[in-house]
Amino acid sequence: MPRFILYAAAALFAWTSGAAVSYGSYRSPFPPPSEIHVPVQGAAGDMFALAFGARRLFADVWFIRLMQYFGAPEFEKAEEAAADEERAEHEHHHHHHSLEGGKYPEFQARALHILEIDPGFTMAALYGAGSLAFNLGKPREAQAVLEYALKYSPKNWKYLNMLAALGYYKNAEAPQAVADALAPILKDPDCPVMLKQQAAFLNKRIGNYAAAAAIYADIAATSRDTAYVRNAERELSRLAEKAR
Amino acid sequence: MKKLLTAVLVVAENSFRESVRNKFFTLFAVFAFTAIYASVLAGVMAVDQEARVLADFGLALIELTALAYALFNASSVLLKEAETKTIYLVFSRPVPRWAYLAGKLAGSLLTTVFMLAVMGLMHLALLKFRGFGIPQGYAWALAGSFMKLAVITSFALFVSLFSTSAVSTLVISGVLWTTGHFAAETRFLAEKAAGLAAVALKAAIWLIPNFQLFNARDAAGAACALPAAAFLSVTVWVAGAYFAALGLLERKEF
Repeated sequence: MPRFILYAAAALFAWTSGAAVSYGSYRSPFPPPSEIHVPVQGAAGDMFALAFGARRLFADVWFIRLMQYFGAPEFEKAEEAAADEERAEHEHHHHHHSLEGGKYPEFQARALHILEIDPGFTMAALYGAGSLAFNLGKPREAQAVLEYALKYSPKNWKYLNMLAALGYYKNAEAPQAVADALAPILKDPDCPVMLKQQAAFLNKRIGNYAAAAAIYADIAATSRDTAYVRNAERELSRLAEKAR
Repeated sequence: MKKLLTAVLVVAENSFRESVRNKFFTLFAVFAFTAIYASVLAGVMAVDQEARVLADFGLALIELTALAYALFNASSVLLKEAETKTIYLVFSRPVPRWAYLAGKLAGSLLTTVFMLAVMGLMHLALLKFRGFGIPQGYAWALAGSFMKLAVITSFALFVSLFSTSAVSTLVISGVLWTTGHFAAETRFLAEKAAGLAAVALKAAIWLIPNFQLFNARDAAGAACALPAAAFLSVTVWVAGAYFAALGLLERKEF
């Protein structure tokens, strides 16, 4: 038998053995292509993400786009609006907050898209769900984001705690219950600063100033977002004045 | 046997030195500049996610830079030696073709290891400069990149022996690189498809290496450790491409 045939047979055998070993042991941890919804801006980025095995990188890009879409935080306005809203709720027995209801119609789709590309991006899931529930007053959309995230990380306790917080929030139960459900997540490196800010605000509102101050101090010490840091420092000095 | 192994090592060393002398500095400079530029942008845009963005961007850039060089090198190394008649000098000595090919492949892989190590160190230095530690699973991510590059380099060497130009080798290898990353999706589509499409997709599954198996870059946390199957697969895929290339090299007349 010519050597060429032998080499070709050896090559084919080795190549297919590799495929057999690979497919026998590999189960994709990512959503199938049928679950990836084409975003408004087009699918070119997703194609690159899949073709170059760079899902994490493109999920980062989508996350940056989501933050840009949502814009810079406006603490004063948001907190004042939340307080006004809460007063109105108590008067009219309404159940849902709606700081900016109806705005940012693409927010949920964009947050879900990040998870479709990288379902392991815990921080993005918490940020998306937290913003939808607490800033945009869309707890049902927030729940959908968390449920999708849980599909690929069913044992992620941060999602479960966040779901519990959402449950209390939706049912207009005591803010203390929401703050308690969020508390364990705040110590995790995956916790978005927006959620810390929300927890600090909740604690401040229910008169738990020590807990609020501790969270603001943590934001001031660890966040790289100057807007959040400045707000935390401002709140810390206000709380210090109150304590006097 | 010792003489043959020495021949393999000499060819590998020569191939490695040639690579280091020629194009490395420019590539490293491009990598460093791009990484620093990206770090400044990431710092502004990603805010609290800067560490993750920097790590992901750096690892992807390291892999793409090494891929560009590995493909360019593998697609031109044999052609260049034939054009400059260097290959005649080698084969006029008692160097068998399998040893020559093994040496060239080993030299290319050594070059890849060197590139990944230097760029990895530059990347870690940049992360440290920005105040971050070593990302979790960093070594696994680099090891996975090396495995992918080993498979594509050996495949490009094989293709370069029958393709008409270095450009066509680059294109064919580039197609394999992208389809290799789509392997899980191909499998999903094969399960859903019917008729001729299913047959074609199932055949593709057997012929396309599954690069996602090595893609520790995209796995989160502890899941990024490469399984034993990855080590076995990379060995047989590189060996398969080597045998195929050897079959073609044996038939060539120099």
